[in-house]
Amino acid sequence: MTTATHTAPTTGRRRKQLFRRPGRTLAEITTVLVAAVVAFPLYWMLLTAFKPRGQIQSTDPRPWTLSPTLENFRRVFTVNDFGRYFLNSLLVAGVVVVVSLVVSFLAAVALTRFRFRGRTVLLVMILTAQMVPVEALTIPLFFLMRSVGSVAPWFGLNHLGSLVLVHLAFSLPFAIWMLRGFVAAVPAELEEAATLDGASRFRFTWQVLFPLVAPGLVAMSVLSFIHAWNDFLFAKTFIISATENQTLPLAVLVFFKPTGNDWGAIMAGSTLMTIPVLVFFVLVQRHLVSGIAGAVKE
Amino acid sequence: MTAQSTLAPQRDGAPEPSGRSVRRRRAHRGQARIAALYLAPAGIVLVSVMAYPLYQLVQLSLYEYGQAQASGGAPLEFLGLGNYTRLLNDPRFWMVLLNTCGFAAVCVAGSLAVGITLAVLASRVRQLPRALLFLAALGAWATPAVAGSTVWLFLFDQDFGLVNEVLTGIGLTGMEGFSWTYDRFVAFALVAGEVIWCSFPFVMVTMYAGIKAIPEEMVEAASLDGASTWRTARSVLLPMLRPLLVIATIQSIIWDFKIFTQIYVMTDGGGVAGQNLVLNVYAYQEAFAGSNYGLGSAIGVVMTALLLLITVIYLRVQRGTGENA
Amino acid sequence: MRFWKTAAVVVAGALLAGCGPPQVDQGASGEDKSTGTLRVWLFDEANRDPKEDVVNAAVREFEGEHEDVTVDVRYIAVDTRSERFTGAFNDPSSAPDVAEFGNTDLASYVAAGGLAELDTMLGNWPAAQDLSESVLETARTDGKTYGVPWFTGVRALYYRTDVFEELDLDPPRTLGEIAEKARRVRAARPDMYGIATGGKYTYAMMPFIWAHDGELARGEGARWESAVDEPAARAGIEAYTELLEPNVCPPEQCAQLTGTESVQAFAGGKAAMTIGGDFNRAAVDAGAAGDHYDVVPLPGTEPGEIAPAFAGGNLLGVLRSSDRSSLAEEFIRVLAGKKYQREMYEAMGYLPTFEDVQNQVSSEDPTVRPFVETLQAGTRFVPATPAWSEIDAQEILPTMVQRIVTEGELDSATAEAARRMNDTFRD
Repeated sequence: MTTATHTAPTTGRRRKQLFRRPGRTLAEITTVLVAAVVAFPLYWMLLTAFKPRGQIQSTDPRPWTLSPTLENFRRVFTVNDFGRYFLNSLLVAGVVVVVSLVVSFLAAVALTRFRFRGRTVLLVMILTAQMVPVEALTIPLFFLMRSVGSVAPWFGLNHLGSLVLVHLAFSLPFAIWMLRGFVAAVPAELEEAATLDGASRFRFTWQVLFPLVAPGLVAMSVLSFIHAWNDFLFAKTFIISATENQTLPLAVLVFFKPTGNDWGAIMAGSTLMTIPVLVFFVLVQRHLVSGIAGAVKE
Repeated sequence: MTAQSTLAPQRDGAPEPSGRSVRRRRAHRGQARIAALYLAPAGIVLVSVMAYPLYQLVQLSLYEYGQAQASGGAPLEFLGLGNYTRLLNDPRFWMVLLNTCGFAAVCVAGSLAVGITLAVLASRVRQLPRALLFLAALGAWATPAVAGSTVWLFLFDQDFGLVNEVLTGIGLTGMEGFSWTYDRFVAFALVAGEVIWCSFPFVMVTMYAGIKAIPEEMVEAASLDGASTWRTARSVLLPMLRPLLVIATIQSIIWDFKIFTQIYVMTDGGGVAGQNLVLNVYAYQEAFAGSNYGLGSAIGVVMTALLLLITVIYLRVQRGTGENA
Repeated sequence: MRFWKTAAVVVAGALLAGCGPPQVDQGASGEDKSTGTLRVWLFDEANRDPKEDVVNAAVREFEGEHEDVTVDVRYIAVDTRSERFTGAFNDPSSAPDVAEFGNTDLASYVAAGGLAELDTMLGNWPAAQDLSESVLETARTDGKTYGVPWFTGVRALYYRTDVFEELDLDPPRTLGEIAEKARRVRAARPDMYGIATGGKYTYAMMPFIWAHDGELARGEGARWESAVDEPAARAGIEAYTELLEPNVCPPEQCAQLTGTESVQAFAGGKAAMTIGGDFNRAAVDAGAAGDHYDVVPLPGTEPGEIAPAFAGGNLLGVLRSSDRSSLAEEFIRVLAGKKYQREMYEAMGYLPTFEDVQNQVSSEDPTVRPFVETLQAGTRFVPATPAWSEIDAQEILPTMVQRIVTEGELDSATAEAARRMNDTFRD
């Protein structure tokens, strides 16, 4: 296990170019073109979200608009209570991130810093748990949440708690696996030194170890956040009648109508759904890349 | 079971062979206790929300379990492998299975090809174009599946879509009002396009990190030896990238094999006559639309088993060739 | 190894503890509150506003009569109703108190234990005497009544008077003429569908099967056998799928159309004909075709015949899990009562289920005549078995139609549909 910093794309020192031929200009033009193509759907989404209805329902779509409008966003927020769904999504994803952060960190510490029998077995189990196609569990989870609901309504069907529970469980195996690498990378001498200084194990874990594995925690949080934020299947299955507890992905689909799809509202909703993740992604980009590369380089 | 297993050593005492001091043994016991404490929250969640449902999935698949049974209106009927024989005798199931495998294969191959090509490309250009590419890729990566599906649907909409408009504009008049979701393969291609669009960035980023981690001296040494670019790539780069490649491939297989959202949203629940169904959507429709929870669970079991099988075979093959290389 | 022992014990324990999948007895809650929120599910419609206005008026009246009661009405999409009701039956706490549902779903909802019996309520409700007996029959299963008929639905043929006049066409007199005239319209007006109908519009296909003397299924009680692969039914299905051809209603657009969408296409001026119900009139009136259409009964195979229509209709029922069942029953009495049935007829064209109200409206309003004629010519119903809902939810018949349209294999598609239907019947 190496730490991520080795593989980060921006190592400070200037690398000698591998291929320094006239071909490079061509390569760079290609790169920019590819970037434009890849980014185009996002541009189109954003553009459509700001286009007036007449220009959207037009058989002559143009890649620009001279009369941007907030009409679509207004419709999304008034006709369909989008603010509420936005908060719901945020709540689910936020709770999942915070709880999985603590829980997976603790588990990762236990798995790297302690010796006990059954550790290897546990590691293998966590590795296998990542392979389980969680979508296949929809049916039993549906019935599980139904039973949970009769004991703790907040975690039952129709409540956001049920979504929190499943996403927490699904994000844990990968999070633990990923953090394990980061925790292991912290030298054991550090712990010994800290213990000599009189710091308790508990204090060491939270005050020294926790900040040291921050890059891993960030990467892990982003992944859990996205996982929970993007979920469609479980939100669709679990939130049956309580429209007030819907999350964004379902809310967007309301604008697909037999009477003709309201593309302006669909794109405005999709934009609202994408922006937080995008911002998050760009902000933590470097950590994310290194975090994944780190976890991956077992 | 996770939680229990950690308790075992604690009761058992230190696992190390005797001969060590009692103090050391006591330290171990203490360690096991704390470890159990630290592992407990994760263990509880994983056992109750993952292991138990997994067990129940198998169990449900052995019963006749419809709405009447689920809501207590009819007695349970144990079918044994009845749901499975019903599946295996159903040509529709085989079609869906074939769809799933074919679709996943195309998506995996596509994401890998695009991701690796662009990673190589990115390693050959200067900072600015590379940053642009990474930004665009991050955007595609970050887009939620539902949002990505709706945007692609809109781009390819038969009446108001830009793609048809452009294609008609450049002289393909037959494309006016062309429906991209009607023909089975066209619809699959459209969904695959969206899936590759949002999953190649992971491959690209991973592989790019891998390429950057290769010491230049190695590449240079190989080139000085007079090895051609292709041979350098094959004999020097590939072995070094193999671990990352394996991870990227496995991740892609896992993701693409169990696609739900894109198919559900883009083909309106499985396409004309269910021609675009994949296992996951099929299981959902059987269970939650058709109220056949037992049969749906059997599909889930088949899917899980297949996925594990594919992953294991892939790892085996990789390890085999890895040793030979 | 100790670990494995522990693991084995845990697994064995889990197996013992949970032998068999979970079952929830979602019987009556026992409670009967008289305050709080009464949850109501109604179906969404192509043009919902007039429906919503009437419902809101009924809600206001009801809330005025009952202190501390609020009525929370949700409109759910018809095509995803099965998932919604499944959820509601599984999780009583998310279930509504009152729900609108199609009479074809009644048997399966009752089998799932989801609906409360309403015989006592109907006995105590004087107006119930006037409910049409044949309609009330669709609300019964095993001799008990589980719903109050809210409106009757029969479908007939809508056509564009202006287009037919322009092309010098008469309204079709046989099912065969529908296809023929639709082709002529589309040839002359390529921007229009000859007739808007869809692969998912099963109720439009049924009259074709029945008019050709075919059946959906034969049987009685618990034993049913699919009949869609018999020659007569095949002839009807073939006649229907002829409408889903490029020169009538191009499959690229029409193979996925549902009933609502087909009617919407007609209302929007995109089609010269459609098969629509009395309950669709409001939507058509509000659309671009609103001033230029007329309705005739869907003809049979020979001139002068009327194809047997599907006796559709929606009911209002009380969910068994409701803890406000008295309130729920009272709300149904208001919403399904004569006053609001009449208003609903005026707003949406829903045919009333009270005989006296029926007579009243058909004597006053000539536009309702084709529907009444269709009713009087005799209607048919889907197999009265809980399996029907499942067949419906699995989209067996739409899949069959779509396969015929896309692959052109009438025999194998009908055979497969018959096999899947039989699988479901036997479950």
